[in-house]
Amino acid sequence: MAEDNTISPDPLVGTDPNSPWQALSPVAIVYFTASIFKQLLGNIVYLIPALIFSYKSVLQHPFIWLPAILVIISLMALTACLKFKMYRYRLSQDTIEIRSGIFNKTHLHLPFSRVQNVKLEQPLYYRLTGHACLQLDTAGSAKQEAKIVALPLDFATQLKQSILSQKSATPQASNNDNPDEGEVLLNSRSLSDLVVHGICSNRIWILVGGLAPFYDNIMQSVSIEIEKMGLDLSERFNLDSHSTLEVLFTVLVLGLLIVLVILALSVVGAIVSFYGFTLSKIDDRYIRRSGLLTKYEVSMGISRLQMLIQKQDWLDRLLKRVDLKLQQNSASHTQDAATGANNKIVVPSITQQQSQDLIDELYPQNTLKQVIQHQGFTGISKVFIWRQIILIWLPIYTVTSIAAWSSQQSQWLFVTTAVFLFICGLVVLRWKRWGIATDQHFVYLRKGLIGVDYVCFNLFKVQQTQFMQSILLQKRQLASVRFVLASGAIKVPMLKQSLAYRLLDYSLYKVGVTEKSWM
Amino acid sequence: MTDQYSNQNVDSSLQPSIAFLDKQPLALEYAGVNLRLNLLIMLMLITLACALFYQSLIPLPKGLQSLLPNIILGLFAFTCVFCVYGYFSDKAKSYALRQLDLHYSSGLFFYKTVSQPITRIQHIELKRGPIERHFNLASLQIFSAGGATYSFEIPGLPVERAMHLRQFILQHRELLKHG
Repeated sequence: MAEDNTISPDPLVGTDPNSPWQALSPVAIVYFTASIFKQLLGNIVYLIPALIFSYKSVLQHPFIWLPAILVIISLMALTACLKFKMYRYRLSQDTIEIRSGIFNKTHLHLPFSRVQNVKLEQPLYYRLTGHACLQLDTAGSAKQEAKIVALPLDFATQLKQSILSQKSATPQASNNDNPDEGEVLLNSRSLSDLVVHGICSNRIWILVGGLAPFYDNIMQSVSIEIEKMGLDLSERFNLDSHSTLEVLFTVLVLGLLIVLVILALSVVGAIVSFYGFTLSKIDDRYIRRSGLLTKYEVSMGISRLQMLIQKQDWLDRLLKRVDLKLQQNSASHTQDAATGANNKIVVPSITQQQSQDLIDELYPQNTLKQVIQHQGFTGISKVFIWRQIILIWLPIYTVTSIAAWSSQQSQWLFVTTAVFLFICGLVVLRWKRWGIATDQHFVYLRKGLIGVDYVCFNLFKVQQTQFMQSILLQKRQLASVRFVLASGAIKVPMLKQSLAYRLLDYSLYKVGVTEKSWM
Repeated sequence: MTDQYSNQNVDSSLQPSIAFLDKQPLALEYAGVNLRLNLLIMLMLITLACALFYQSLIPLPKGLQSLLPNIILGLFAFTCVFCVYGYFSDKAKSYALRQLDLHYSSGLFFYKTVSQPITRIQHIELKRGPIERHFNLASLQIFSAGGATYSFEIPGLPVERAMHLRQFILQHRELLKHG
């Protein structure tokens, strides 16, 4: 099977259009098995509740589940082998062809000129054998992606470079002599930075939310375990036998423990996806490399950058760090948004200065720093506060308060009032953060709640604009605007009507006069 | 940036503004056709409810039987509001074509103008259902790279006008690309 050793050092030299179809290295079987396993896991998630409830009765019948598992495993192995057998690829001067599939056969034909993005992915098991996956993205839908599943690493990097150089050679051949020299390291993240990122990033809350349906089961099994360990919780929290202070202390310690566990998980998550993070630059391409288990390499041409977002959550604010997001086209690639494989390039937990340096590097003409320093942002109308509070939060507050009051539990009134006041405070903060500024080339947005986010995009990248105004807003000469970019849309609420018109007119004007492509 | 121009000293009132678009109404028939269509659908629903109420073939649950008159009344009220609102909001829809962009405005209480630069149009589609064909109408669907959420549709255009718009946009785009 291993006939790939005959590959010539330069991947595209000596390959004529009728070059033979090549098989993958046998390591690919591992990859196929892993991907089948992942798919299976993804489907099995829905079965978990059923399993939890019936695992005892299932366990009592080993003669059923043992063969079942064996059959599943052998089926998986068989499909992986078949997939591997069926997978063939062929490289020629300027195209790649891939044939794959057991029942649904696909034949993919992709000219290199249509490749927008080349990604390298190296899962853990490939590192032992020195292989990598090469993924070629096109501008079209996600289905049109080509993935060569197992290539020797150096061959993959060579192929990547020749594809990229071919691609950039067509539109502007002059400023691109040798793509593989002159890679400049722009930023790298140390382990401590990643720990900070893990603490600040909120990704763990997604996990907490996802587990919500199983809380009851988890709590049950946890309390059973605790009882087994000889602790009696109900006794521990009994106010008759313990003082209030003691109970409070126990609750606090338990809460802290949970937070610590969650934080640890979050830190681990950050390290797994961002380990060894580097952001570097070759000519006009930016390359992100990261990953502890599976190494990812994502590269993006500067012309594909749609928007820069400097994000700062409240914890980031305490630690004086920011995340910088480089956003490109998001229309097609949404399926693996949660992993490190997605197209967004995030530079995690950098300092304000580093972020500013990167922004200046990416958008040399930007004046974000001056705008921030000179308070150049125009805020939004105070109507925003009143509308949020009166239309949304006040009704909720009234209903809950009346409910609490009528059910004779007036102590809850304090809680609802406190929460209401807190939310009002947040609304005011939100209003205060909103701001917009422009210069000749860019739009700068400031938004956030406790932390401050800055968004910056080039005016000519705008795909569409929207002007929105309700009758009430019209009376006050206010309007909301929305800028639609290829990476997503941004709405700015309650601007002065004249400013809204000016912004939209100017961006349409810029789109009209700029001949540069947005891609 | 390829061109170094300055925009600072130009009086902003001289620039073309989307505040003063040359708004073109949709086809005259459009609002009427839509109104009739809406009325028809609602009347069908009301007839269905009435038929349910007066028939004696299928026994209905008691609660439903006593609720039906209220439901019918509610449907009547909804029909009135829905059709009147629909009619006037259809009347309020308009589009505008400038050299470089296409605009579509809509909304009675919540006014909205979508502006689509022609160079940023991914593709356009002319859509004609059976009713539209009967009344010689067409809808123009416009897709941008902003994604499916931000594609929009100009409904109720006279066919010739829609074809003309489509032609203009396609030609113009070619011209901007290669000219």
